[in-house]
Amino acid sequence: MFKGEKNMARLRRLDFLLIALIYIAFLPVIGKLKLIDFMIFTIFVLSFNLLYGFMGRLSFGHMLYLGIGSYAAALSSVYLSTNPLIIILCAITAGLLVGVILGPVVSRTRGACFALINMAFNQVGYFLVVSACAGITGGEDGLAAQAAPLGFFNLQDSNIMFGFTLFCLIFVFFVMKKLIASPYGVLLKGIKENENRVRFLGYNTYFFKCLTFCISTMIAALAGALWMFNFSYVTPSFIDPGRNVEVVFAALIGGPGSLYGVLIGGGIYMAISNYLASYITRWEMFLGIILLILVFRFPKGLWGVLADKFGKAGKGQVVEK
Amino acid sequence: MTDQIILEARGVTKVFKGLTAVAEVDYRLIKGQVAGVIGPNGAGKSTFFNLLTGLYTPTEGKVVFFDQDITKVPPDQRVVMGLGRTFQLVSVFNSLTVLDNLVLSITRFTPYYHNKSKFFFADRTNSFIKENCIGAMETVGIQEKKGLKTSGLSYGDKRKLEIAMALSLKPKVLLLDEPFAGLSDTEIDEIVHLINKIKEGLSIVIIEHKVSKLLNLVEKLSVMHEGRLIFEGKPQDAVSDREVRRVYWGEKDESSAIKC
Ligand SMILES: Nc1ncnc2c1ncn2[C@@H]1O[C@H](COP(=O)(O)OP(=O)(O)OP(=O)(O)O)[C@@H](O)[C@H]1O
Ligand SMILES: [Mg+2]
Repeated sequence: MFKGEKNMARLRRLDFLLIALIYIAFLPVIGKLKLIDFMIFTIFVLSFNLLYGFMGRLSFGHMLYLGIGSYAAALSSVYLSTNPLIIILCAITAGLLVGVILGPVVSRTRGACFALINMAFNQVGYFLVVSACAGITGGEDGLAAQAAPLGFFNLQDSNIMFGFTLFCLIFVFFVMKKLIASPYGVLLKGIKENENRVRFLGYNTYFFKCLTFCISTMIAALAGALWMFNFSYVTPSFIDPGRNVEVVFAALIGGPGSLYGVLIGGGIYMAISNYLASYITRWEMFLGIILLILVFRFPKGLWGVLADKFGKAGKGQVVEK
Repeated sequence: MTDQIILEARGVTKVFKGLTAVAEVDYRLIKGQVAGVIGPNGAGKSTFFNLLTGLYTPTEGKVVFFDQDITKVPPDQRVVMGLGRTFQLVSVFNSLTVLDNLVLSITRFTPYYHNKSKFFFADRTNSFIKENCIGAMETVGIQEKKGLKTSGLSYGDKRKLEIAMALSLKPKVLLLDEPFAGLSDTEIDEIVHLINKIKEGLSIVIIEHKVSKLLNLVEKLSVMHEGRLIFEGKPQDAVSDREVRRVYWGEKDESSAIKC
């Protein structure tokens, strides 16, 4: 058992390789373009889950932060520069900005209030995109936008796009893993369990909640920019608050308490929505049933079930010897 | 040696929807003192602590810490200033391991907190943090439990963990809300021993229900009743005080209790 844990620890250090291998292994089965979609979505779930799984704040308006990234990317490619790096930078900056503006407001709330206030902002964003600012955003029709090649870094080449998205996924995963393993990670879990108590340990929890919110919105915006690259256009569906259930489902399926769970959940959700949909017309109903089973029977998600089965070494957190 | 007042309440009052939980309490804690507060259920003791530590803001009155008015200072800031506490119902993080509970409390007051790259990116199981945590566990005697989930600890061990967490904040004043409640006699002895061990260089206020446990532990005892301080002095004198005896032992005359 002892040795097994040591091996697990070593395995966890190489988990990013495993992610790459799995995605590459699925290339012939699922196809490049779909897998890019899978990866972008998983990045988005990672950003959502930083708030939900680790800090205990469920956002029902996370599509806003993804959408902001997409639209910022599209608009900057139209008005500013077609350099893909500049586009990404603009998208992340937009994500940061919206985090800095909304963070201080949403961080005052928790529970249902947090979920709904995010949703309300999402609705406002959707309205702005669809009608109030339709002159710039293209309204219902959306915008066509592209990044120009930058030397060999040509995101219109699906191989490069695949590689770059995989790199982004692994990078975000790596950063998250570091954050979760640090004292800050414990602070997040502390806030999740009992925020007031954390204040009596001398932490300004409000500040850290705002900060975490900003990290989350930035990563969501990165996913948004990647999404725009992948589709070469943006439409209001990128910012549609109704689609927010997708990310919630994905986190719940895999298990919001761990990063591995999120990776699994992102993949499985995308697989379900891509493939179940072509066999069963009202596939959302099955998703609903799955969700019910998850919430009532397996609140720790698929990864939670696996980890419980195969001992504590699999929990995606370092366990003391 | 001059007696420096370290923590002071001036006319502190707290009203909850018409119920006066704490009424015009004047209280002074002298540096280095170990003081006790006793009183029957609902006397307002915990509320008084909550006012001192900033969980509630007083309806009226001031809280002064090191000659500084901290009435409006948020709780986390008070902790940074040196005001640590524990809670009546043990409050630790059950979802974390014992070690992580201490990681959380300890890193706040090490260079790790101020060096942001370390706070956000350093592995929390590194040797520096771990040594500190284990040191804190040894102080209270729970080092064997370090890898356990906190939810698996006994109530007494949770209490010790909570005290270890409070101590790791390097407080100058430590407020303990009923540290003996729910513990066995041996555990109570251990906590008493612990308090005697740590009181050097620290000012401590202990809330208790019964006088007996504080008799040999505190230098000053205050008795609270219906939100007011009705006695302050040596613990031995409290036992013989008429008012205190009436509140505690023989409330023969109910009507006079209402009058005051
Ligand atoms: N948040 C609150 N809202 C409303 N009333 C409260 C609140 N906190 C305390 N009270 C009331 O204030 C009074 C004093 O409560 P407090 O908890 O301070 O008493 P205590 O002396 O600590 O009693 P115990 O020995 O039972 O812990 C009680 O009547 C209680 O019901
Ligand atoms: Mg109390």
